[in-house]
Amino acid sequence: MPALALRGIVKRFGDLVAVDGVDLDLESGAVVALIGENGAGKSTLANIAFGSIAADEGSIERNGVVGLVHQHFQLVERLSVWENVLLGREPRKGWRLDIAAARARVRELGERYGLHVDPDALVETLPVGLKQRVELLRELEREPAILLLDEPTAVLAPSEIESFFATVVALAKRGIAILVVTHKLAEVISYTSRVNVMRAGRIVARYETAQTNADELARVMVGGEIPRLAERTAMPRQVSPVVHISGLRARTESDEIAGLDLALGAGEILGVAGVEGNGQTALADALAGVCGYEGTIRFRDEDLPPTLGPRARILRGMQIVPQDRQREALVLDWDVTENAILGRERNPELRRGLQIDRAAARAFAQTIVDRFDVRPPQVDTLVRSLSGGNQQKIVVGRVLAGQPTFVLAYQPTRGIDVGAAALVQSRLIEARNAGTAILLISFELDEIFALADRVVVLYRGKIAGEFERDAFDRGRIGALMAGSS
Amino acid sequence: MKFSRGIRDAAIAFGIIIVFGSLAMLLAGVNPVDGFTALLIGAVGNVPETAETLVQTTSLLFPALGIALAFRAGLFNIGAEGQLLIGGLFAGVIGERLIAPGIIAIPLLLLAGAVGGGAWGALAGWLRARFAANEVIATLMLNYVAIQVAAYAITGPLKSAAGAGNETGELPASSWLPTILPDTRLSIALLLALALALLLRWMLRSTVIGYQLRAVGDAPRTAQRAGIDLAKMRFWTMAFSGAIAGFGGATIVLGVLHRFNLALSPGYGFIGIAVALVGELDPLWVTVAAFLFGMLQNGAIGMQAAANVPRDVVTAIEGLIILVLAGRRIITRSGAD
Amino acid sequence: MLSFLWLMLIKSAPLVYAALGGVLCERSGVLNIGLEGMIAIGAFSGVSISFATGSAILGAIGGVVCGGLLGAILGIAATRFRVEQIVAGTGINLIALGGAAYGLVIVFGQPGASKEVNALGPTGEIAMVCLALALAGLLHAFLFWTRAGLHVRACGENPRAADVAGINPLRVRFWATTAGGAIAALGGVFLAMAELDLYSDGMSAGRGFIALAAVIFGRWNPLGAAAAALFFGAFEALQFTLQRTGIPVEFMQALPYVAALIALAGFAGRARAPAADGVPYRR
Repeated sequence: MPALALRGIVKRFGDLVAVDGVDLDLESGAVVALIGENGAGKSTLANIAFGSIAADEGSIERNGVVGLVHQHFQLVERLSVWENVLLGREPRKGWRLDIAAARARVRELGERYGLHVDPDALVETLPVGLKQRVELLRELEREPAILLLDEPTAVLAPSEIESFFATVVALAKRGIAILVVTHKLAEVISYTSRVNVMRAGRIVARYETAQTNADELARVMVGGEIPRLAERTAMPRQVSPVVHISGLRARTESDEIAGLDLALGAGEILGVAGVEGNGQTALADALAGVCGYEGTIRFRDEDLPPTLGPRARILRGMQIVPQDRQREALVLDWDVTENAILGRERNPELRRGLQIDRAAARAFAQTIVDRFDVRPPQVDTLVRSLSGGNQQKIVVGRVLAGQPTFVLAYQPTRGIDVGAAALVQSRLIEARNAGTAILLISFELDEIFALADRVVVLYRGKIAGEFERDAFDRGRIGALMAGSS
Repeated sequence: MKFSRGIRDAAIAFGIIIVFGSLAMLLAGVNPVDGFTALLIGAVGNVPETAETLVQTTSLLFPALGIALAFRAGLFNIGAEGQLLIGGLFAGVIGERLIAPGIIAIPLLLLAGAVGGGAWGALAGWLRARFAANEVIATLMLNYVAIQVAAYAITGPLKSAAGAGNETGELPASSWLPTILPDTRLSIALLLALALALLLRWMLRSTVIGYQLRAVGDAPRTAQRAGIDLAKMRFWTMAFSGAIAGFGGATIVLGVLHRFNLALSPGYGFIGIAVALVGELDPLWVTVAAFLFGMLQNGAIGMQAAANVPRDVVTAIEGLIILVLAGRRIITRSGAD
Repeated sequence: MLSFLWLMLIKSAPLVYAALGGVLCERSGVLNIGLEGMIAIGAFSGVSISFATGSAILGAIGGVVCGGLLGAILGIAATRFRVEQIVAGTGINLIALGGAAYGLVIVFGQPGASKEVNALGPTGEIAMVCLALALAGLLHAFLFWTRAGLHVRACGENPRAADVAGINPLRVRFWATTAGGAIAALGGVFLAMAELDLYSDGMSAGRGFIALAAVIFGRWNPLGAAAAALFFGAFEALQFTLQRTGIPVEFMQALPYVAALIALAGFAGRARAPAADGVPYRR
């Protein structure tokens, strides 16, 4: 008798069929994987199994409570740990909340599962790893028989992943049925007993983990060969760096930089590895000119004043691919043309006096669409209706048009399909080959290893180590990402 | 896209007017047929009434255009009433003292109105840009301050011999806006408003600055990273929005009342919000909406006189239209800063 | 001195009620620009019902109920229809103010102001002032010491997290907005029936908006908002004390609004609204 049985699940969002007839079983005490690339429908299926989304067709049999640890945490930042863990199930003493009992319960859960957190801490003050712990405790509080984990290791350092899965295995030993939704194949091979592969809304393959390997899974996940990236040409060593950062101190809402030195030359991709929350956003925002900073950022031969805004930086040849394309790079309600000329609307070649030169703008947009294989290829398509991959192609296409001197690419392939990711990465390599200096900030080590000439590790707002391409050491880098040395 | 939505919104507005208007009329003991007939006749029953309806249309159109422009940039300008008042104040106080041929006086006084309203809007814009002060509350507060400023001005330091109580003296006839239709209050202000609507439409659709304004309203964080100066854009948009409303106030002084009066506006700055919404924030549709509401405003007077339905019911119905049409997300909060 | 204090309390009471109503709404995630209309409705319906029944108490209750109804309308608009809340609030104000002006003719047969009605009298006035202050404490206890209050706060910060935890954010927001409207309407009841004994057109005079400034100034906390409301009320009371000096009456009358503006400029940047305030929630 499986703990969770899904039969014939179908879910549509308008014209898009996100889940197209899925059967899935989960037995008590098993750790099962559901893999697929971005957009395959994994998260939707998990939410349907949890119950927060209703399926259009099909049946669900649950033998017990279902818990879901979300990919993007569902925590109330301004409330405390105990308020989050016990939300909706708070202990009461008469008409008042029984805060003492609540605290005790959180501590008791911490003891039982080895997940200790201070019950009174405000969630917004916690580092990302502890926030995940709170999310997990909230689900465990309800004594689930089934636990769904949606991309649980996205925010963990490589060494933290080990202890996380130790917890998972311990939970399975207690009889909980666990489904891990992920795209990280190495973890699937190491920690799960069965794998379901999802593609375009369907389960296309099921394996016993022991009988398959990462390469086979990757091929089945993508449905063919993984596209190859562009060739990297040999680049001569640069004498003077294009970007030279010294003593940088910056702070955003989510992270901070606490004294950073970095140099980057023309025709080089410098990868910044690190777990999310260690200063990547502060570094990116400081370079983009949207947050203040102390220290020096030297671009070519000029010390950039911290108050220099984004426009002046763009005019000097600095381009940014922001982390959040929908909120920071695109105007979703506009069409491809109007999005393509963002940042260039004042350029003389795109305007006629006070007016925008529509014909020139459309031509410019068309070159991006052609070079980056945007589908559909009409430049008056509304960007909102494009897939994530096509949206990102427009952003990167716009950034790379005109051979910028410097590009900061922050998570350039986040949440897009493998084909689009490969194309974006290839274009970045081509730009590097042509002499652009590229700073690549990514939370995916694989991406950094594929693209970078050099790697630095960012930990707690400082550089923790530097590696040349021929000396990339996954183990060492992973350790530095977690703070050990 | 816009056309079908515009028709739908106008239809909704009509529906509300019919249904709730009838209810209110019945409550007042009036047969809705009589009530609406009186409303229609009061609005467009004959040439003089139609002219007056167009006067109301003009007075509504200016603040509505200003409000629509601000909305497009993501700003809630609820202070058009105060900006209109200050604009009228400038035009009236200067106008009653200025002796000059019309060809000089009129543009000057209209400009003064724009400056006055613009300054009032800029004040709220400055508070928003500099202190991140919520412009909704700031503009609302400034409405009330505007009334006091105007009252103080015309009874105190700027009181003229001809002025009395709550109004200034009359402007010299050479400073009056020429009328389009003799024996009516309909002046060239209507043409100026229509021209402004066309200008704004062109600006938003075709110019670089219009593109940037729309970016600030539709995706502020994206706009910022693309190099657009949010603070500057917001400040100047509030100023321009206020200037349009102030210009409108000046046209009321020069074209309708021929003097400044504290009661110059029966709420044009608030009804203008409804007009802007029904018009989908598009200057051309806003013009059509302004005519619809102009009919309501003028017709209501006739309705009260002929059929004994209190005219304030129109205000309540306009509020209901605003409430129902707020259903559309006018300002897309894609990462509001 | 004592008389000034009393004057300040009287002038603040409507602001306190409206601010508390606003705090409750906004803590659940609904931006309430319609406080002005809720005050007006409370005042008008209170007076009308007192006129119809002869009982001031019934009038007061009626005012509260009507305020709740108006709040419910905003609540439905915000939850079921996911409207742009600022615009909706503006509409609510016009509905209430226009409706009240219209109602004056229907109920009392005359525009501009109602007839005098049975009001709450001096004891009622004192009672309502005390109630206002007590309500601040009660709301504080509710929001921070009870389960329901915690749920309200969760919905205002992260409705999706609340939803995941089994709370219905739409229902919570609806009831918070309804209750908020009822509380705010008490401010109108006080204005028309405790301080005076009639309703006149526009008597709310922007108090609903000053109350909004008090909510921000008080950082969306009931006690803070009440204190801010007292602060603004003091400015209104100041008008009367300074009447004897040569300061023009218009300056005096502008004082509360200018005070609100200055407070907004000085404190707005540092105050943080509930994170989901004004953002409609889609289930």
